Amino acid sequence: MPSSAPPTARALLALLVLAVAVAGGSPLGSAPQEPVEQIVIGGVTPRFAVPECVPRTPDERTQQACRTITQVLRNDLRFERLFQFVPDSLLAAVPPLDPDNPVFEDWQGIGARILVITRASIANDELTVEARVYFVDSGQTMLARRYSGPAHNPRIFAHQASDDIMTLTQYKGVARTRIAFTSDRDSTAEKQSKELYIVDYDGFNPRRVTVNGSVNILPAWSPDGQSLAYVSYRRVTPLVFLARIFEGKSVPNVTAERGNSQAFAPAFSPDGQKIAYASNRSGNMDIWVANADGSGTQQLTTTRAADTAPCWSPTGQEIAFTSSRTGTPQLYIMSNDGLNVRRLTRVGNYNDACAWSPARQFSEVAYTSRLQSGGFDIAVIDLATRQVRQITRGRGSCEYPTWAPNGRHLAFSCEQRETWAITIADREGLSLKRLATGPGNNVQPDWGP
Amino acid sequence: MPLLRHRQLASLLVLALAFSLAACGSKRRPPALASPEAITPGPSETGDMMPTQPIDEGPDVLAVEGEYATGSDLEADYATTFEEGSPLPDIHFDLDSAALSEQARSTLERHAVWLQTRRDVRVTIEGHCDQRGTVEYNLALGEQRARAAWDYLVSLGVAADRLRTVSYGKERPLDPGNNEQAWALNRRAHFSVSQ
Repeated sequence: MPSSAPPTARALLALLVLAVAVAGGSPLGSAPQEPVEQIVIGGVTPRFAVPECVPRTPDERTQQACRTITQVLRNDLRFERLFQFVPDSLLAAVPPLDPDNPVFEDWQGIGARILVITRASIANDELTVEARVYFVDSGQTMLARRYSGPAHNPRIFAHQASDDIMTLTQYKGVARTRIAFTSDRDSTAEKQSKELYIVDYDGFNPRRVTVNGSVNILPAWSPDGQSLAYVSYRRVTPLVFLARIFEGKSVPNVTAERGNSQAFAPAFSPDGQKIAYASNRSGNMDIWVANADGSGTQQLTTTRAADTAPCWSPTGQEIAFTSSRTGTPQLYIMSNDGLNVRRLTRVGNYNDACAWSPARQFSEVAYTSRLQSGGFDIAVIDLATRQVRQITRGRGSCEYPTWAPNGRHLAFSCEQRETWAITIADREGLSLKRLATGPGNNVQPDWGP
Repeated sequence: MPLLRHRQLASLLVLALAFSLAACGSKRRPPALASPEAITPGPSETGDMMPTQPIDEGPDVLAVEGEYATGSDLEADYATTFEEGSPLPDIHFDLDSAALSEQARSTLERHAVWLQTRRDVRVTIEGHCDQRGTVEYNLALGEQRARAAWDYLVSLGVAADRLRTVSYGKERPLDPGNNEQAWALNRRAHFSVSQ
């Protein structure tokens, strides 16, 4: 558990991160590869050294697990762009590491200020990994953790270690989070189908969720990470289904649509108690809300225009949505009882698919915006200043943004060379990366807990 | 002109109606499926309106195991109504529009006549869009297109409970191409007929 970190060290690091967040200059004008935010100690940027994991036994399997852990841990820690790292070439200059007695002078010599040591052993198909994090200058332990579990997926051990190291900062790590999405990879020539998949945040470990061969779209995680709400056409009419994905059970037509009515775009409230969705039950597409079990349906919007695609504020007090009430689709915000509606987007003639940042540090909403060229890009609007920044630029068409749970990254889907792929960028639009989530067109990501 | 045609159509529909009433005697419904084992539909399932789906719908979702599971495909054993061989041709729409063109109205009028002579069939009207809009906007637009066709067919005397609308947005394009021709083909309402 995170609480194993010595409180003094954690408080110190958190303070330092905060200090930089206040003092930090604008990252936008700098070179794109610079970290956007850094920890500073005594006016100096501390650098992480993450040497190779040390196997406790020389067998090939343990060595292989160690190689995976080293690589995944480094990637996880780099992902947040909060830390700097000693270059690999300098790591090679350090004498062999004795993990029980690290010689901190060696690491000081190459400019490392924080040292992350990992060790691994495998016995009876069980992998045990130890991770220790030190302040190099004082030799003080910041974190010491042991992890054990089935040996066949060492990646999760590195992910857990990374998330624990992130508890030393003001941000929650996302290394163990998953992204749900829709894929057409199971389509055949005879039958088009779309099935839901989930994948680790880094694009590894894709797993299929729905198997019904119909069209299954618009996945939305429950905040506890146990369920996906989604829209399925398996009863012909599109309806909201709710699947407990680790049990393989689903509840059809959660919102109890009847007759001709259809339901789309489910979204859980942050406390998991409510589902907002779009339904044409009233004869027109409007925003509705129901309890998570589908009871207590309530209509929130009543205009003649189509109102769709609701998303919740992090407090659950407000809901943003798309409405064509002025003739073009634009984002609006209302209270969660449907009152106090006001328009959010004023730039552009086509804005859709809101995603409200869950982070308390940032008050912003991501969405899809059409450009004059006709393609779509991801944009973010700051709720305080109403300033808009463009996240994607010239990468083909991109749409359907979703935030990482800590609000530091966005995932969305982009079309390039006639193929749609899940793509990730940080909240400034830097370090765009296409995830290798498997074959087919992969769209409509929802970043889960 | 349109008024005249409507009148002709109306009298034709009345004739067709009378004929089919006399021919059929009583309206037949598909027998209710005795299905105690079926995945119980909600109390308001559309069973009254459309034929019930096959009894065993098969699984919806696969159980995902903790961190390690890899999914295996289970057999999905249910029928779809996605066949393209509909006796009722598609109608098409302009970009970003759910308005019925003169040609679309004319097509729907022929559909109404056919439907009055085939009172044993029910129709699912699918609203489709080209791929140039966003996912959710297109789902709303597809809903409006299907509803426009539904409204017009009902106004021509087709019983509302024989018709159902479904929006596919841009999720099931007829032509996956990315060009004007494909887009025009995909901006459509499709009529899926079942007995």
